[in-house]
Amino acid sequence: MTRGWTPAQAALRITIVAGVMVALLATGLRGVWPAWWLVVLVAGLAVAFALLPEAPMGTVATGLVLAWWGFAFRGGPYPEALLAAAGLLTAHLAAVVAGYGPRDLPPDPATVRLWAVRGAVVFLAAPVVYVVATLLEGQPEPGGIWVAGLAAALVTTVAAGFVLAGSSPEQ
Amino acid sequence: MTRWRPTGALSRCLAVGVLGLGLAVGFGDAVLVVLTAPFLLLAALGIVHRPSTRPHVDAQVDHLSMHEGQGTRSRLLISDLDGVEQVTRMATPASFVATHPAHGRIGRLVTDNSSLPVLEISPRRWGRRILGHEDVALTSRWAGYRWGPVALVGNQLQVLPVRAPYASRAEAPQPLGLVGAHRSRRVGSGSEFSGIRPFQAGDRLRRINWRVSLRSRNLHVVTARAEEDAGVLLVVDALADHGRSGGLEGAESSLDVTVRACAALAEHHVRRGDRVSLRVIGPRRVSSVAFGTGERHLRSLLGQLSMVGPGEPRTFGRERPFFGVTGGTVVIVLSPMLSDAVATATATLVQRGLPVVVIDTLPTGMALEVAEGTDPVVAGLAWRMRVLERDQVLARLASLGCPVVAWRGAGTVDDVMRRLARRAQLPQVRAR
Repeated sequence: MTRGWTPAQAALRITIVAGVMVALLATGLRGVWPAWWLVVLVAGLAVAFALLPEAPMGTVATGLVLAWWGFAFRGGPYPEALLAAAGLLTAHLAAVVAGYGPRDLPPDPATVRLWAVRGAVVFLAAPVVYVVATLLEGQPEPGGIWVAGLAAALVTTVAAGFVLAGSSPEQ
Repeated sequence: MTRWRPTGALSRCLAVGVLGLGLAVGFGDAVLVVLTAPFLLLAALGIVHRPSTRPHVDAQVDHLSMHEGQGTRSRLLISDLDGVEQVTRMATPASFVATHPAHGRIGRLVTDNSSLPVLEISPRRWGRRILGHEDVALTSRWAGYRWGPVALVGNQLQVLPVRAPYASRAEAPQPLGLVGAHRSRRVGSGSEFSGIRPFQAGDRLRRINWRVSLRSRNLHVVTARAEEDAGVLLVVDALADHGRSGGLEGAESSLDVTVRACAALAEHHVRRGDRVSLRVIGPRRVSSVAFGTGERHLRSLLGQLSMVGPGEPRTFGRERPFFGVTGGTVVIVLSPMLSDAVATATATLVQRGLPVVVIDTLPTGMALEVAEGTDPVVAGLAWRMRVLERDQVLARLASLGCPVVAWRGAGTVDDVMRRLARRAQLPQVRAR
C-alpha cells in the first residue's frame, strides 16, 4: 500500500495518524487515559484514515475521539481541549491536502502553505469558544443552558452559511 | 454526468460538526464545542464557496509532429475557472514517451488559465505515439466541492526519426539527371577537367586553351565533365523488428537502426539536391514515396518513415516487390538481411546493372529475445544457425558485386560509393 508514496505524501499520512492520536491521548495530561481497546481501535481507524483520506474512516475516528472527550470529563472546559482541537484540525487539513489526488501525487508546496495559513486562522475559533465557555462557566445558571446556547449560536452560524449559499449571486 | 460533488473533507466537517454539537448538548459539556468549532467553520466556508459553473475540460498538445528526443507541452483548456481553486492532472504513462513530472501527475493552485498545470512531453522513439489518457479533477475554494475526475483521451503524436548528423563526400556512381553535385561521364559545363578537343561551333570562347591552340595553330577548347543530380532509392526492410528497442538513449532494435539510417541518408541526399524515393517493404506490401526534392519532400519521406511498423504482407512470398527503378538511380537497401525475399529482390536489382548498396542494420551485440515456453539453449542455437545462413546470403550478394556495409553513421557509404563509381567506368557485360 505504501508503494509509490512520495516523502511528502508519507509525511502527510503520518501527520493524520499523529493528529488523531494526540487528540485522543490529550486527556491523559489530566490523568484520564483511554482504555487500551479504544486506543487500538482509534489507531486502526487513524491508519485507515491516512491510507484513504477521502473515505468515512476519518469521520468515524474523529467521532470516537469526540465521544471519548464527552465521556472522559465533566465540568471544564480544560485547556487540554485546545491541544486536542489542534490535533484533530491538523489531521483533517493533512487529509484535505492528501485528498487532492492519489498517493503518488506530490503535494504542491503552495497548496500546503495555503492550508497551513487557513488552518491557523480557522483554529482561532477553538480558543475563542474556550474563552467564552470559561467566562460563562462561573454563571449561577445551570451550565447546560449555556452550552445549549453556545451550540445554538454555532448552529445559527452554520444555518446562515446555508442561507448565504442558497441566496448567493452564483445561483 | 459530471457535476460538483461534496468532497470527503466537507462531508467530514459536517458530520463531525453535527456529532460534536449533539454530544455537547447531550452531555452539557462545552469542551466538545471547543473541539468542533473549527470544523463547523470549515464546513460553512466550503458550502458558501460552492461553484455554480459547469466547466468543460480538454487537453491540447502544442506540437503534434516532432522528431524523437524533442519536447512539447500538453496544456489544459478549461472553459470556466470561476470558483475553481485547485486542479489535479493524472496522466497514465505511454510507451516511449517521457513526461515531466516523470510520474505524469501534477496538482496546483490556479488563479487563471496561465496557472493551469502543464505537462511536458518528449517522445523517445520514432513512430506514431498515442499519449496515455489522463484524469483531471477540479476542486473548489476551501476544498468543499470537486468536479470530476474527467477522463481525457490522449493525443496522437507523429514522431519523426531523429536527425542524426550524417555527411558524405561520396558521389553517386552513375548520375543521370539535370543539374546537381555529382560528376557524370557526360561532357558538360562542370568544373572537373575532362579533355582538350578542337574548337567546334557553339563552344564558349572562355573555354579556349590558348597554349594548345598556339602550338597546334588550330583553336582547341577544354572540356569538363557535367555535374548532375542523381536519383537515390532507399529501400527499407520492415518485415520484422529484431531486438528490443530502448528508445532514444537505450539499445536499438534492427528497425530503429534501419529507420534512423534511412532518415539520415534521405536528409543528406535531399539537401544535396538529389531526387530521393522511398520504398518500404512491410505489412502494407510496399508503401512508397515517389522521387522528389526539396524540404517538403523530405518532410514527406520522414513522415512515411514514422509510420513504418514491422509485419509481413498477406501476399508475402507470392509476389516479388516492384521498385520501379530507372537508370541513373543508386539503390540503397537498408535491411538486417534475415529475409530471403529481400535478398532475392536485392540480387535482382544488382543483376539489372543498377548500383546497389546494402546497409546491414542488424544491431551488433543484440540480446536475443526468447518467446515464453521456449528453451533458451535451443533458441540460442537456432539464432546462431540463422546468423550463419545470413552470412552466406551476404557473401553471395558480395560475389554478385553488391557491397554490404554495416551502418556506422557518417561516412558509412563513402568508400563503397567510390568503388562503385570506379567500377561503373569499366566496360561491363550484362545478360539481358
